[in-house]
Amino acid sequence: MAFILRRLAFYIIAIFVAITFNFLIPRMMPGDPVDALFAAAGGRIPPEQLDAYKEMLGFVDGPLWVQYLQYLKSILTFDLGPTIMMFPVQVTELLQRTVPWTIALSGTATLISVVVGCFIGLYASYNRGGFVDRFYPVFWQFMASMPQAVTSLFIFFIFAMTLKWFPLGYGADPDLDPAFTWEYIRSILHHAVLPMVTLFVAMLATWIFTMRNAMVNVLGEDYITMAKAKGLSARRIMTHYAARNAILPVVTAVSMALGFAVAGQIFVETVFNYPGIGQMMFKSVGARDYPMMQACFLLLVLFVLAANFIADVLYVLLDPRLRK
Amino acid sequence: MLKPLKKLKHALGRYFKGNPAAIIGTTIVTTIIVACLAAPLLTDVDPNRRVARGHQPPSADLIFGSTRAGKDIFSQVLYGGRVSLMVAFTAAIMTTVIALAVGVTSGYVGGKTDETLMAFTNILLVFPQLPLLIILAAFLGQVGPFIIAMILGFTSWPWGARVMRSQTLALRNKEFIVAAETMGESKWRIILIEIIPNLISLVAGMFVGTCLYAIGAQAGMEFLGLGDPTVVSWGTMLYWAQSSAAFIVGAWWDFVVPGTFIALMGGGLALLNISIDQISNPKLKTGAYIKIWRRMKAEVEARRKGAAS
Repeated sequence: MAFILRRLAFYIIAIFVAITFNFLIPRMMPGDPVDALFAAAGGRIPPEQLDAYKEMLGFVDGPLWVQYLQYLKSILTFDLGPTIMMFPVQVTELLQRTVPWTIALSGTATLISVVVGCFIGLYASYNRGGFVDRFYPVFWQFMASMPQAVTSLFIFFIFAMTLKWFPLGYGADPDLDPAFTWEYIRSILHHAVLPMVTLFVAMLATWIFTMRNAMVNVLGEDYITMAKAKGLSARRIMTHYAARNAILPVVTAVSMALGFAVAGQIFVETVFNYPGIGQMMFKSVGARDYPMMQACFLLLVLFVLAANFIADVLYVLLDPRLRK
Repeated sequence: MLKPLKKLKHALGRYFKGNPAAIIGTTIVTTIIVACLAAPLLTDVDPNRRVARGHQPPSADLIFGSTRAGKDIFSQVLYGGRVSLMVAFTAAIMTTVIALAVGVTSGYVGGKTDETLMAFTNILLVFPQLPLLIILAAFLGQVGPFIIAMILGFTSWPWGARVMRSQTLALRNKEFIVAAETMGESKWRIILIEIIPNLISLVAGMFVGTCLYAIGAQAGMEFLGLGDPTVVSWGTMLYWAQSSAAFIVGAWWDFVVPGTFIALMGGGLALLNISIDQISNPKLKTGAYIKIWRRMKAEVEARRKGAAS
């Protein structure tokens, strides 16, 4: 319990660091970002809105700490103001629309790659020095090291542009009404295939390595020798003795990876024109929409922190040694 | 004169033998680096000059074709590689130095210093890297290669610092360190002469790993339009290919060429990293060695059986 409370305190500090970072960044840059932002918007925003933005971003008259408190207040009350690129729409509303897409995409891709990767890793450690062990981890690591910007471009070009097997963008067919019908769900799945394959290729190697290395460490333990001495079958030793213990680092790594996966699919969403947070962040960079950009950043930080916290809790639940 | 050469040959032989990952990785990485360094010898075309009509497919004159603006892609990819590699190396050197300094100080000095440094490191560690880079670059405006290297260098050291710290903690109680302390050696001497040489394989792995990460991150940032588009590098080549609609007009060479160079460099560095890992952590080793070991084990067992009967 003390462990969890300590971690919780750490994450709360981290959130404040992120907010402070967001607060300081526009102040350290040359020029006034609010003015720059209005110049970039080019008359789309009424001048009355200027003061509201200044207040929201904390650019009020007064010393720095007053500005900081003002900024904290607008963050903690979720009053993030309207966006610039789609002017009257609120930042929070736009974000709400993107979050489900990103979470569904990265969540599914992570889970699939974890399951496949763990099986390959298990098999590789089971047949140490065999073909799978020598070839698969290295090959997938090679694939995963290609930057995601490049792999997604190539996959997009081959399967969407040239072969036309999959659609060129969006989360679902824009002609269909969002509803819980088979047609709409099929459209979502069809649109998600390529982004998911890209994420899968990028993540698989991690899980093969995590599982294989965890297994290799566990297989050196005394109780494995004991199990062998008892004459148990190799299969039973692998599944009931080794894999059960090797899975512990994997489980906590998974929940951590989920957070980072949400933050890491900016390229995939941009190339495949997928309506998630990553693409929203990219668009807001292009439109110099600082409020939106900062909101995206804060949200992604929150995801990562939440995922890390879940990993800590899982660790305590799964490892009795930490529960004392 | 000959002796150090022989020693080097021996060391290289030991590194490459039965390690295809190391052979392939080293070949890819050195070929690309040498080609980029030798760019003026391989082509006499200025990468910024218009030499052909836009979007010409690869031919005998233009080995990799031309961009929409009619620039020679072969020349661009070689000269651009210099910029990209320079950024990667600068970022990797900065990251490694900061990580080494923070990690070793934290691990060896301990106490309050350790607590403060690690609290800071851990907070930086939970920040998602990519969005952080994007926010920084977006507020700085279109950033040149040097600034990109700085941003990457200052943001990617926390993980390495943690690894260095835990390794330093493990070393700190070894006999040779205790002996050095008893002899009254200064802290600096212990850190520089006794501890850091024992971290060399970690440092090498970290350097290669950061290079790999920096190549991808730089290409990604420039691809998203956060870099300075007037500088020729692999990332800006991708950016121009994307923004000049190379996809739609079917000019695949415009992005396939820089994309392949980035991908090969990334893959090659990853193979190098794996082979460094296998040397510094023999427990995780795979490959031909295991086969030899198995054969020896079978022989020993056969002999044992023979002896028993």
